[in-house]
Amino acid sequence: MLLAQTKMNFVWYLFRDGEMMFWALAMPIFFLVLFSFAFGFGNTTQASAFLVPGLIGAQVLTLGFFGVGVMLAQFREQKVLRRIYLTPLPPWVFFAALVLYRLSLLAFQASVLALAGSILFHVRFTGHPLDMIVMLAIGALTFVSLGTVVGAVTRTAESANNLASVLTVPLAFLSDAYIPLDRFPSAVSAPLHLLPSTQFIDALRGVTTGGEPLAHFTVWIAFLLCWALGGMLLSARIFRWV
Amino acid sequence: MTDVSIAVAHLVKRFGEVEAVRGIDFEIRRGTIFGLLGRNGAGKTTTLECCIGLTKPTSGSVRMLGLDPSKPHDLGLLRPRFGAQLQTTSLPEKARIGEVLELYARYYGLRPAVAALCERVGLGGKERQPVGGLSGGERQRLALALAIQHDPEVAFLDEPTAGMDAYGRRVLWGEVEHLRQAGKTVILTTHYIEEAERLCDEICIVQQGRIVARDTPARLIARAGGGSTVTVEAVGFVPSDGVARAGRWHHEPPAGGSDGGHWVLATEHDPGPVLAEVVRAVDEQGAQLRALDMRRATLEDAFLNLTGERIADEREAGAA
Repeated sequence: MLLAQTKMNFVWYLFRDGEMMFWALAMPIFFLVLFSFAFGFGNTTQASAFLVPGLIGAQVLTLGFFGVGVMLAQFREQKVLRRIYLTPLPPWVFFAALVLYRLSLLAFQASVLALAGSILFHVRFTGHPLDMIVMLAIGALTFVSLGTVVGAVTRTAESANNLASVLTVPLAFLSDAYIPLDRFPSAVSAPLHLLPSTQFIDALRGVTTGGEPLAHFTVWIAFLLCWALGGMLLSARIFRWV
Repeated sequence: MTDVSIAVAHLVKRFGEVEAVRGIDFEIRRGTIFGLLGRNGAGKTTTLECCIGLTKPTSGSVRMLGLDPSKPHDLGLLRPRFGAQLQTTSLPEKARIGEVLELYARYYGLRPAVAALCERVGLGGKERQPVGGLSGGERQRLALALAIQHDPEVAFLDEPTAGMDAYGRRVLWGEVEHLRQAGKTVILTTHYIEEAERLCDEICIVQQGRIVARDTPARLIARAGGGSTVTVEAVGFVPSDGVARAGRWHHEPPAGGSDGGHWVLATEHDPGPVLAEVVRAVDEQGAQLRALDMRRATLEDAFLNLTGERIADEREAGAA
């Protein structure tokens, strides 16, 4: 059932939606090329090695806040959740299918970005593939969990969209995704290191292009898991299906 | 096994300051087609939503098939046993009819019979059509298919023909008949008098969150319809003997100074035999019959007499 629901999510919300295909696949590549030249100052390989994990990290934030949070709010507003609620389908299956669809899409986006970085800018991925996958999974878990809170605390799709935008855009720019934090004054960058998005993106960068083992980021991973757990507990308490 | 499908007792539902349902009680026996009839905002949908666990009652109780739909555990047991066509069913615009039916069949652990089901609700040959391209009536029929495809014991239909064309209404009415023959219980809310009168074994007239009357359509009409009228225009006719005792006669003088005028009989009896008796009396008196008319009391008359409100305007607006 989970796979059937996930498959239909792909068909209905991605394959038959040209606009979604564009935003999901073309935009990350566009940003990679644009920012590599804009921030590269002649060394596009170095810039791209920084940007590829940053962009993948930003995609994870988008996955959580928009792909899950806003979509849940939309489903509730459009009364899709009400209709599902009346069927014997366990709610967790519906939710898990949405997350699985988004995770699969993320995996594809990350692969495309990595491939583009490798082909266009000769970026080398020196980390262990398993470490990369585990780090991506931890990030996705954290931001799906926080995204569900967005879907739970907002009453309309519009307010969910606004809240997701308010969270995603600043976090993407202040979390070492596009702009290195060391370019900020230390008084500003120090607290930014405490953000879960910064910890995740830095850890992801470490295990992908930095060649560092996952164990180097144990503390940050623990923090991320705490955020994930907090988000889950909160959304389990306040999320309304109908 | 109890014979009661739904039992609602002292049901109250408040939304903040607004009291949508103000102490509703009814029981529905298995195999009954039960209608909640009332104007928009009367509390019909809220009552129905309490019955299917979408809305939690403020007070009072609801039992469906012996279980309490406001309790998650009971609702879990009930979900495979009832089907609901909601007033607005939103489905993904890019989904095709066949895909939706197939996926929903899987929710119930069924093998989808998409083509047969589409045929049954008048969507035959449209299996590959996207939901986004369907008319309002077609969407309603798809929602009906989703509500009945798992052969539920109880079907809830909330304003099922709102926005439907004549063909859609016929399909839905046919399906309700089908459910009746299969011994299913159907609860439908409607503000269409004709629909309630035609389909329902029992009707609750709901006004401002309260039940004003509950009975079979025939008994509601007999009780509150205000009787039937027979109008006779015949030169030389005077109600006498048997026809005089059929009800209350009054003479209306002719309009514009023409001769004769007409007699109007208000009767509680079945107007058919009374009409035959009047024709016989006209004949026996050698009177010259010019016009004869009969009007039976309708459910609409009963509704008006019971609530002081007309519902016809809303039907016309809904049909437009």
